[in-house]
Amino acid sequence: MKFNDLIDLSIGSLWRIKLRAALTITGVVIAIATFVAMLSFAAGNQRWVENAYTELGLLTRINVTPKEKTPADSVDTAVLDRRALRTLSTLPGVRMAYPYVEFEVTASAADTQVTTEVRAISLEVMRIKPFSTMVGGVVFSSEDAREAVVTGEFLKKIGVKDGERLVGEKIVISTRVSSIDSALAGVVGDPEAEMADIFGRVAFDSLANPAYRGRVLRRELGDRMSRFVDGLLNHQVTVADTLTVIAVGNKIDQYEVPVSPVIVPEGIARRFSSSGVGVTNDPANLLTALQSGTIFSPGGADDSRGFPRVTLETEPQASHAAIIDSVEALGFKAFSFAEEFKQVQRFFIYYYFGLGVIGLIALATASLGIANTMIGILKSLGADEKEIQLAFLVESGTIGAVGAAVGILFGWVGTRIVAAVLKIIMQRQEMPVFDPFTLPVWLVFLALAFGIAVSMAAGLYPASRAARVDPVEALRGD
Amino acid sequence: MTAWMTTADLCRYYKRARHEVRAVDRVSLGIERGEFVAVVGASGSGKSTLLNLLAGLDRPTGGHIEVGGERLDRLSRRELSRYRARKVGMVFQSFNLLPHHTALKNVETALFFDGTPRGERRGRAHEMLVRLGLGDRLGHRPGDLSGGEQQRVAMARALVKRPEVLFADEPTGNLDEENARAIIDLLIELNGEGLTVIMVTHDVDMAARVAKRTLRMHYGQVVGDSPSPAATPGPPDLPPAAPERSDSGPSAPEPPGPRSSAPDIGRGP
Repeated sequence: MKFNDLIDLSIGSLWRIKLRAALTITGVVIAIATFVAMLSFAAGNQRWVENAYTELGLLTRINVTPKEKTPADSVDTAVLDRRALRTLSTLPGVRMAYPYVEFEVTASAADTQVTTEVRAISLEVMRIKPFSTMVGGVVFSSEDAREAVVTGEFLKKIGVKDGERLVGEKIVISTRVSSIDSALAGVVGDPEAEMADIFGRVAFDSLANPAYRGRVLRRELGDRMSRFVDGLLNHQVTVADTLTVIAVGNKIDQYEVPVSPVIVPEGIARRFSSSGVGVTNDPANLLTALQSGTIFSPGGADDSRGFPRVTLETEPQASHAAIIDSVEALGFKAFSFAEEFKQVQRFFIYYYFGLGVIGLIALATASLGIANTMIGILKSLGADEKEIQLAFLVESGTIGAVGAAVGILFGWVGTRIVAAVLKIIMQRQEMPVFDPFTLPVWLVFLALAFGIAVSMAAGLYPASRAARVDPVEALRGD
Repeated sequence: MTAWMTTADLCRYYKRARHEVRAVDRVSLGIERGEFVAVVGASGSGKSTLLNLLAGLDRPTGGHIEVGGERLDRLSRRELSRYRARKVGMVFQSFNLLPHHTALKNVETALFFDGTPRGERRGRAHEMLVRLGLGDRLGHRPGDLSGGEQQRVAMARALVKRPEVLFADEPTGNLDEENARAIIDLLIELNGEGLTVIMVTHDVDMAARVAKRTLRMHYGQVVGDSPSPAATPGPPDLPPAAPERSDSGPSAPEPPGPRSSAPDIGRGP
């Protein structure tokens, strides 16, 4: 018996049990439509994640952060400073290392004054993703250029909808920063008056007494340390600059990636620290630098700065696992987006598998129980067990194919309706609009193959049971 | 000389509840090619079971069947299927047509399993239906045909593969007199052309009229074998429901076989 004969018999048999076949096919349609909708949603999200990772350049990026010291750590954790930055940039597979430099300012633009964060980046960093994507290739004219890029978040803060009209406009940023000068001014003040004061308070002839000497030193040093810290905290200086907006970065916002509202060249950030010690106004940073001695290191004050994060831009084919090992060996923590992406992909695999199992159960439930007296007739005509089994399997497969084809169509229509509704909701909420569904060709074929395979698998037992049916019993009728 | 089809101590016993039923009990017979044999007997006498055994639809529980030198009881299930596909044509009382197929397709289906090339099937099926007077009913489904026409389609399906033997189980049981006569005439004609016909019937008169030989069965055994039923009178006082000759159980119900709804008319004069 040829395959065409099997199809003939199967379709004829289905025609005979029209109602039951229709109900079974309906079950398959529902199962496959659900399967397609769920997988379409999963695939849509996977596509969105993949696009986001690619567009943001996350797959060639590793973030390095200082390791928090735990009670178990016997030695001090490494400081993520300029020196560490240089070491990190020389690791194999690392193309570039750049620090995360952000500070808070008061910004005035479009007759509005707001408090906002400013991110400082180098020209080199501006040429790579995600910044290059965000500003469409616009680059600061120099490292010291009084220029700025603002993002959608800044526009929201100042209540401007049409960001393009800000391009070419001025933005004034100002902040109060701590500096060694202001701190030391508090400590020393007027040296002559200070000396007179000390001479007045200290009994020099008693200094030979170790107890008195110790008391005086502790009092005098403590007093000066207290004034130093007071100088750091309460005598910050105000630094201000007027910048020209050269671009509005908004493309990146569709991924809702937290990007600073204002981006400026690194040189501008340096001016925001009168001592050059740091662009941050956090006094603890200065104290740390003082404590570690790096504030007076040969590399200059810049070396003393501790960064909250350093980003490594890797070569496309570099092994992130190896780089992470090297980073951790230096005493830092490392986070690879590519490694995370693998986890995401693994998640999707489990997700698909889970959906597959659900679909399988639904289909198996829908496809069971096709048997009829046709077996007896076919056996009396000379059909053997294998042919009967094949006829039933083809019958199950036909149900699966028809159900899957209709199910794919229904599933697709369903996702289009949901996507249209979601689009309206997203637009009303002023959210970035994206289609969470996709129906790639592989999914169409997968659903079709899945429907047929599962229906046939579900028909396997009834088919083998049918093949073993006694023809005499079968001819007596159901 | 050994007959073409022989059985020796052929038995088909089965269990129903806790009782053993001897549907066919130690039947030994020989049938030559070209014979027209009628098997008559009361309901439950085992005639349909005997027919199913000879047609290879059922397997004996004892004894043996030999057809053309081939022991059916030794064949594998696959070989038995091949035997049915190539050598056997079967006609049933209830026609057993595929209701979703046309008359032509029904007949063609018989050629799916005997190795007939696909290209030949339609032509042969068409030819057979025309020969049986159904040339204008080729595209009709069984539901659109009369009982007589349906039985002729069933006959066409049985004959289209050119079998060596035609088994007919109450072929006229569901037909009116006119259609029954037509079917019987057809069987006679086919037998005249050399086809071996083995027919089960309740109608002793008809068997006497058309068959060359009549086997009379009673409780699983062949109690009469003669050229004519009239020549082989059964036990004169056969009770309508005698206790079966099995080791247990009160009755001998109809063994598994194609459903038969015809009245019991075979208890002899």
